[in-house]
Amino acid sequence: MSLLDIKGLNVSAGGHEILKGIDFSIEEGRTTVIFGPNGSGKSTLMGAILGLPGITVTSGTIVFKGRDITDLPVHERARMGIGLAFQYPPAVKGVRLSTLLDNIKDNDNFDLHVYSEMLNMDQYLDRDINLGFSGGERKRSEILQLMVQRPDLLLLDEPESGVDIENISIISKALSLILEKDKPLRKRRRSAIIITHTGYILDYIRADTACVIVGGYILGCGSPSEILAEIREKGYSQCMECYKDMVRGDTGGEQET
Amino acid sequence: MENKRLDEIISNENSRLEDIGYGGLPSCGNFLVMDASVLESMYAVDGLEVIPIFDAIEKYPRVREKLYFNLVDKNKSEYTRLASEAKPVGYYIRVEPGIKIDEPVQAAFMLGSTGSTQVIHNIIDLGQGSTLNILNGCTTSCQVFQGRHIGITEVYIAEGASLSYTMLHNWGENIEVYPVTGIRVDKDARFVSNYAAMTSVKKLVAYPTAWVEAGGSARFHSIIYSKNNSFFDMGARAVLEGEDSGAEIISRVVSEAGIVISRQMIEGKRPGCKGHMECSGLLLDENAVIHTIPELKGSHPDINLSHEAAVGRISSKELSYLMSRGLTEEEARSLIIRGFLDIGIEGIPPRIHDIIEDTIKKSVKGSV
Ligand SMILES: Nc1ncnc2c1ncn2[C@@H]1O[C@H](COP(=O)(O)OP(=O)(O)OP(=O)(O)O)[C@@H](O)[C@H]1O
Ligand SMILES: [Mg+2]
Repeated sequence: MSLLDIKGLNVSAGGHEILKGIDFSIEEGRTTVIFGPNGSGKSTLMGAILGLPGITVTSGTIVFKGRDITDLPVHERARMGIGLAFQYPPAVKGVRLSTLLDNIKDNDNFDLHVYSEMLNMDQYLDRDINLGFSGGERKRSEILQLMVQRPDLLLLDEPESGVDIENISIISKALSLILEKDKPLRKRRRSAIIITHTGYILDYIRADTACVIVGGYILGCGSPSEILAEIREKGYSQCMECYKDMVRGDTGGEQET
Repeated sequence: MENKRLDEIISNENSRLEDIGYGGLPSCGNFLVMDASVLESMYAVDGLEVIPIFDAIEKYPRVREKLYFNLVDKNKSEYTRLASEAKPVGYYIRVEPGIKIDEPVQAAFMLGSTGSTQVIHNIIDLGQGSTLNILNGCTTSCQVFQGRHIGITEVYIAEGASLSYTMLHNWGENIEVYPVTGIRVDKDARFVSNYAAMTSVKKLVAYPTAWVEAGGSARFHSIIYSKNNSFFDMGARAVLEGEDSGAEIISRVVSEAGIVISRQMIEGKRPGCKGHMECSGLLLDENAVIHTIPELKGSHPDINLSHEAAVGRISSKELSYLMSRGLTEEEARSLIIRGFLDIGIEGIPPRIHDIIEDTIKKSVKGSV
């Protein structure tokens, strides 16, 4: 059984059809990376998986841990183990980051300061969530929240965009820790879907599969390094055909690495 | 003052008094009034005096001639007239020059019988360079369903003195409240007012005014949580009369229902005057109305007055962001509302801050 199984998913937002017939799945312990041009529907897909308001599933199903979650409210999906690092995390005035973290954690079996130090976020705990945070600080704040939330499926929406090289390495270390990348594959329990444009994060975190979304369709999935090389060489528009040829019929997550 | 009656009342009304912080912390003086009876009036620090105003008028010509109905005009309204005709009930608090006291004076005013009108007159008189904290609470006894409270307050803060004045209101759905307050802030003196009203009230109309001399400052911070059919017409005014005087007015209103009018005014008359106000309202429901009226008046070019105002709903983006971390909608709302009301009041003792926090927690649904 896959950890996440999406079938025939059509999604609209703001009255527009954004995702068209998405089939996608991911196994326990795996990492899938998603490429796709701006506006192709990557963030919308993550929003649909988590059930964010304003994103409407018009047909199809999302099954997580064997349960159909298509109609579950967002907080229940979060409690089932889905966690999103937002591409554009909003600021929440008046609520301290530490207050939120206190509310997120499900037990006291960890030392928050180990995490916050690891992410260089110690001085931000007493500040209002994301308020006045720089781009990179917001991204680190997202990862810190996920570390405390400990989801089984991490949805990482461009975790490294706008982040300097040193901090990409810091973020990646934290993510590798959550994803148990130090353990052998069969022992890893957490999975991740990572959206990236540059692929920088792949220098630190090994992905098992890459999928390409263009215009609301998944064109195909395959080896992350090969697909990234294709995109770098030819761009998305010229490459539409090649993904189809390369990986027709494969919808991600199944490949052995 | 009969001790037996006092004990009885304090134990009967314990939870009501606790809600407004009375008796909850170490204090340097206490003053408790039920209807028109002073039940407790004591002080325990040299240089401090807390006595019934009636006694003070007898004892001190200065109070009689210079302080009583000086900052508040007897003929201002039917309420001031009523107060001027009645035998005055309330406190006179005096601090001698140079005396600085950390522990607060605690005062509570309780409406004890249904259908009655309580008329209170308080005078605060801080000598040069002195410092004092006062925690006031107003509430009704548990069995009072309807009534009226009129409160005249005159505050005199002499040169270089500093007063932190906290007022917690905990009335009821059928209580009308008419406070009238005047504050004189002398040269280089400081006045900080913290006001919190977290429960329903039938009607509350208040517009305290501070006149601020050179180098002095007045700050009004208020938080209001409106429910049911509450009607608040609540404001603050600072008149900057001296050079380099300053004012800050911050008001936060959360409304589930009812009408809240929030008026603020800062008037700058002399060079170097500085004033800022911020009034924000959070509407939780379609039945709620928040009307903010920020006013600035400058009559000298060399001043700096500004305001920010915003009224709106809880941002759905923020709400779903918190919910995406596993918080229920109610928990997420509660966090946001409590954050909105937390204005980070400086200069008040932490324990008073805790009492305000508690009050907020109790009134916001879903608090954890
Ligand atoms: N509420 C909405 N109303 C109208 N259009 C929307 C709405 N939400 C998303 N869209 C549109 O859907 C498309 C996909 O948006 P999405 O954010 O998923 O893109 P993305 O692939 O994440 O792009 P990027 O790489 O720029 O982050 C875009 O064209 C966007 O404008
Ligand atoms: Mg996106």
